[in-house]
This record gives sequence, structure tokens and C-alpha cells, in this order.
Amino acid sequence: MRQNRTAWFFLSPSLIILFIVGLVPFFYILYVGFFDWNAFSLQKGMHYAGLENYRRLVFDQPFINSLLLTFRFAVYAILVQLVIGYVLANLLATDFPGKWFFRVIHTIPLMVAPLAVGATWRLLTIPGFGPVPFYLDRWFDFEYSISANASQAFWTTVIMDVWHWTPFVTLTMLAGLTALPREPLEQALVDGANRLQVFWYVKVPLLRPIILSTVFIRLMDALRTVDEVWMLTGGGPAAATRYTGLYIWRIVFPKTDYGYGSAMSLLTLYFTILISWLLYTAIGQQRRGER
Amino acid sequence: MKKLITLVVLLAVVSGFGLTANAQDDNWWATAAAPYAGVTLHGVSESTPPSNYAADVLAPQFEALTGIKVELEPTSWDQMYDKAIKDMEAGSGIYDFVYIEQDIVFSYLAQDYLVDLTQALVDHPELAAPDFNFDDFTTFIDDFKNAEGHVFGVPMEAFVKIYLYRTDLFGDPEIQAAFEAEYGYPLAPAATHQQHEDIAKFFTEYGEENDLDLWGTTVQAASGHSSSFYEFFESIAPTFGVYNWGINEENWKATVENGGQMNSDAAKEALAWWVSLLQYAPPESTASTWDEVAATFAAGRAAQGWVYGENTAWIASDPDRSQVVGQVGVAIPPLAEGVMEAAEAGTGYVGYYDGGAFGIPHSSKNIEATLLWLQFIGQPSVQPEWAAAGSRIVHDATFDDPLVVEMDAQTNGYYTLLQEQGYLFKGAPAHPFHAQVRSVVEPFIWQAIVGEITAAEALDQAAAAADEEMARLGYGQ
Repeated sequence: MRQNRTAWFFLSPSLIILFIVGLVPFFYILYVGFFDWNAFSLQKGMHYAGLENYRRLVFDQPFINSLLLTFRFAVYAILVQLVIGYVLANLLATDFPGKWFFRVIHTIPLMVAPLAVGATWRLLTIPGFGPVPFYLDRWFDFEYSISANASQAFWTTVIMDVWHWTPFVTLTMLAGLTALPREPLEQALVDGANRLQVFWYVKVPLLRPIILSTVFIRLMDALRTVDEVWMLTGGGPAAATRYTGLYIWRIVFPKTDYGYGSAMSLLTLYFTILISWLLYTAIGQQRRGER
Repeated sequence: MKKLITLVVLLAVVSGFGLTANAQDDNWWATAAAPYAGVTLHGVSESTPPSNYAADVLAPQFEALTGIKVELEPTSWDQMYDKAIKDMEAGSGIYDFVYIEQDIVFSYLAQDYLVDLTQALVDHPELAAPDFNFDDFTTFIDDFKNAEGHVFGVPMEAFVKIYLYRTDLFGDPEIQAAFEAEYGYPLAPAATHQQHEDIAKFFTEYGEENDLDLWGTTVQAASGHSSSFYEFFESIAPTFGVYNWGINEENWKATVENGGQMNSDAAKEALAWWVSLLQYAPPESTASTWDEVAATFAAGRAAQGWVYGENTAWIASDPDRSQVVGQVGVAIPPLAEGVMEAAEAGTGYVGYYDGGAFGIPHSSKNIEATLLWLQFIGQPSVQPEWAAAGSRIVHDATFDDPLVVEMDAQTNGYYTLLQEQGYLFKGAPAHPFHAQVRSVVEPFIWQAIVGEITAAEALDQAAAAADEEMARLGYGQ
């Protein structure tokens, strides 16, 4: 009993901080979500609105579009990151000249702040001045404009995210690959499996917990993408890259619609938790299956 | 000899008197600021040439005189609003003074965010600087007054969004002859929208034929930024006779069927015309906000266009930043029939009279010290150099200063136009829901820019959304 009290005593600073920075804002947003509160409304202050903000959300087509767009962005970005990350991890698991140099260079994007990533990509891709549109036009006669072409803007944000976060996926995959037991791989080779069969029937099942954990982390990141996309496209052209985080930002800050923005944040959090829970369950099932 | 001695003595007396007066001024600031010496004032402003001048030049001068340090944070327009509004709404007191753009002041006054400066100076006569007088300011200060005439912001920048054109191109005899041969009238600054379009087309083709990075016009059409909303509703739509964003201020409605003008035929024609100019504009136009449009013109990439006047001075005179020094002309923007007459009669306007002031939030923790700072920047003595650096004038007397007269010549009459025809321009309408209605309208403008919907569809949907938003905020119900 005494030991228990000591444990709580040492845990208390972390719990207090967690309560202040995590739970208090959460409950505050939950509370504000039930109010009509716009700083520039004729009726000043907060006015109880019940579930009205949530009812509005259901019919808010731009919000629903932004949710779907965000999901699409996350799926494409994570899939590409997994493929490239796996290939690079395999490469880094072998020895080759200049490996250390490549590993350092490859990890640099991880160290750059998202805002700086967005600003850099904006400088690279800005129509009229950026080197990317300039050389695409000069060498391939290809018109590239992230401020006028919705599809190009979307894919540019995906590529930027891939550039930024693939090193993270590579590192987790590398950790998984180096920890794989050698026996099943050797046994499969002895049994006559080719490299593709070894990859698909042995490596992927063994790496599944690592892959799911990586997807879990990256998905949560991707669903709350704001800063780098905000710097690159500002959510445009029109709504082509207005992901949910950016949409919420527009509602809460420029529009100062705090009640509605809070409801929107909560619903997005709910979706994120739901998807994460599905992944978590999948990981749990895998582990139970292994036992 | 006697006369010479008399002259020397006279000069000595006069200069001595001047020195004494200066010393007295300095003493006043030091005495008035003594209780606040060591205080640091924090402010936030949009990063504009006048704001940067205040941060880089005036703040150190003020600190040397008073011992009060001023930390002014010039940031992007979006961030400036975010920070200022959040601070004032929460009452956190992070900022002692905030930039109040002319278009947001009505919202701030409606929310009672700002300190009444007139009253504050009455309440603290010991802080009233001898050189500071609200009467020195141009009529632009009226935008920062309430119904009783009390001032809530000290103007620090004021300018018009002006039509700029390249005098070297417009004055080239060969180009003039080619233009006249093609269009049947002499090349001159555009007076009508058709002329603007003709000139834009002509110079775009001229750029292509001569392998130049030159296009016919600027367009501030960032397809995901509010600046495109502002260019359309504050600079373009008025030249077609659509004022106050097309919102009927008597019943707070935007749709034509409810008495508004936002989706009127004139507004639709204006938007269609403006969007059509993109074919004659540099490729960066759909990513251009206010700063980028000025940069485009300064880089010599456009023959004409609407540019915020605060940039005129550096574009016309700073060879380190501009490729078109000495080649900039200014004029009243092209207008539809009847707009000039309406502007002269005071029932309409030809474009946007922009600017801003510094005001003190109620939440400031150093109201008295900030009052001194705001008077310091509002003194006549600091105005001329500030005007030359930032193309802004807030005092009537500044127009006659030799420094400004010289800069006026370099800009081919920008300051004269501001002084003599500034009354034809108008600031943003006095809407207490400025950012809220803009937020619901601008997505439709962006869709029109990228061609997802037509101009007519955009304005029909925008007007309906504006009506709905105003009703939600409690206006026009």
C-alpha cells in the first residue's frame, strides 16, 4: 500500500501536466462545442445551442469534402511512404559504399520543421518563379501550376509529405528488418521459395506489427496535417488541398466561430480515434495470433 | 561689417532658440516617460513598408528618448489578425498595441476592444505630448473615430490602391505606333475596362514576340488567400459601380432579390472580366497576394495593374529592389460609365483607400507608456521620412515637405494624386462582421479563379452564403 502511494507521488507531476495540457483543453472544447459563440456576432458571448453545431456539421458539405480529401491524402501518402520506406530499409540493411553518408542525408527531412518544409516547397514550386515549374516547362513543355491546377496541387502535397516522412518509415522498417529472426527466412529458401514468395509469405507477416504501428503513427499525423500544407498552398487552389485541419483553422481563427469549430474538432478527433482503434485492434489480433 | 555681425548674432539667437526648443521637446519626453523607463511595449503589425519603418527606425528613436523599449512584431497579414484578435478576445494582455487595418476597425469598435485615445489623453494631461494633435491628420483619421468623434487609433499608414503602368513601355514611339495600328486609338493609361484588356492583350503578345518575361497586367488572384477577395470587392467591383461588397447596409442583405448587389449583373460582369485577365497575367498571379503583386510589377513582369500604393515609392525609386526605377506612372484605375460621377458626388468610389492605425487594446498592461509611443509616431517631425520610405501620408502638412515633393517627382505624381484625388477612393465598408462574411464568400471567388464555376455561379452562391452568415450573426434578420 505504501509502495503504491510512493508510485503515485512520483507519477503525480506527469499526471498533473497531462491533466492541464491534455484533459482541460479537451473538456473545454467539448463544452464550447455545445455553444453558439462567434466573437463578432451581434449577440455577444456564448449562447447554449445544444447539438445544433453537430447538426450543422452533418450538412456542411465543404467539411465532409475536407474529411474525405484528408482521408484520401493520408491513404496515398502512407502507401507511397510504406513502399519507398521498405525499399530504402532493405537497402540500408545491406552494406554499400557511402552508406553512412546516404543514411544521414536521407534522415535530414525528419529534422526540418513542417513550416520550413512547406516554405521550401513553396519556393520550389511557386508558379512563375520556382525552379520546378520552370524546368518542367523548359524541358518537357509541361505546364505545372499548384495555384491553378487542383490535381497538381493535391499531388504536390502528397509528394511533399512523402519527402518529409519517408525517412521515419524507413527507420522503423529498418528496425523491424534487423530484428527479424533468420530461421524462417532460411527455411523458406531451403524449401524452394523464391524472393517474392519469401517477401510476401514470410517477411510481410513477420513485419506486420511494425507496418501497422508505423501506419498508426503516420495516419494520426496525416489526419492532422496543417502547417506544411498551409505554407505551400494555403488550402488552395479553391478547396483542392483544404484538409480538415486547415478547414477547422479557417472556421476557428479568421471566422472566429469558436463553437462550431470546437464541434468540428471533436468530430475529427472522434474519426481519428475510430480509425486508430481499428488499427490498434488489428495489431492486437496479430499479437494474439502469434501467441 | 555691422550688418554681418548683426546677421551672425541673429542666426545664433535663432539657432539657439531652435536648439532650446529641441532640448525642451526632448526633456518633455524624458520627463513624461520617466515613470515608465525600462518598460517594454509589445506590438503586432502586418509586415508592410511603413510598419517595418516603425519597427526599425522609430522604435529605437523612441527608446533613446524615453527609455521605453518597443518590440514591434511585423508578421503576415493572417498571423497579425490571429494574434491580435485572440489576445484581445481572451484579454491576455500580450500586446500593448495592435495594428488596426481600416477595414477591421468597425468590428473592433463593435466589440469594444480598444482604448478611447481621446479620453485617455483627457484623463492623463501629463501624458499629452506638446507636438501631437489629432487635427494634424488627414481625414483618414475619421475612420478610427466612433460616433462621438473620439479617436481609437493613431493612423500610421494611408495610401490608395492605384493603377500603375510602365512609362517606358507606354512612352515608346514604336510600341505606341504598333498599338494604335492594332486597336485604332493611342496607347495611354487605361481609362475603361476595354482599354485595360486591350493593353493587357497587346503587351502579353509583345512579350511573347520579343521573348520577354512581360505580361499585360497584374492580377492579385491568389486562389486560396483572402487577398483575391479584397482585390475583387474593394478594387475591381467598385470600378463597375458595385460598392460595399454589394451588401445593402440598410437591411444587411447581399442577394439581389433581397436588395443587395453582390450577385447583380454588374458584379457578375466585373468578376468575369477580372478572371478573364488571368490569361494576360504572369503565371504567378494565381498565387499572388498583395506583396507578390508589387514584386511582380517591380520585377518588370507586368505592363500595368492595380498595386497597393504603399509600394509605389520603393518600386519607383529603389534600385536594390526594383527593376523599373524611374519607369513607373500612376493613374486613376479604369472605370465603367458613371462611376467617376458617382465618386465625385460622394455616392460611389473609384477604388480602395487603405491604411491602418495603431491602437491600444483594453487588455494592454502598459496603457500609459503606449499612449506616449502612439503620440511619438503621430508627431509631425517623424512624418516626412516615413512618408518617403513607405509611400504613406497621414498628416496634411506632409504633402508639402521637400522630401515628399522629391519622391512625388520620382513616382510621377503618386503623392499629388493621393492629395488631390484621394477623396475619390474609399476605405472598406463599415461592416461589423468583416472577416466572417469574407470567410464565407471568398471560397466562391477562388473557385471562379480556377475555373471550377463561372463568375455568375460564384456570385450567386456567394451572395446566398453571405445572407445566411449575416443572419446567423444576427444582422438582417
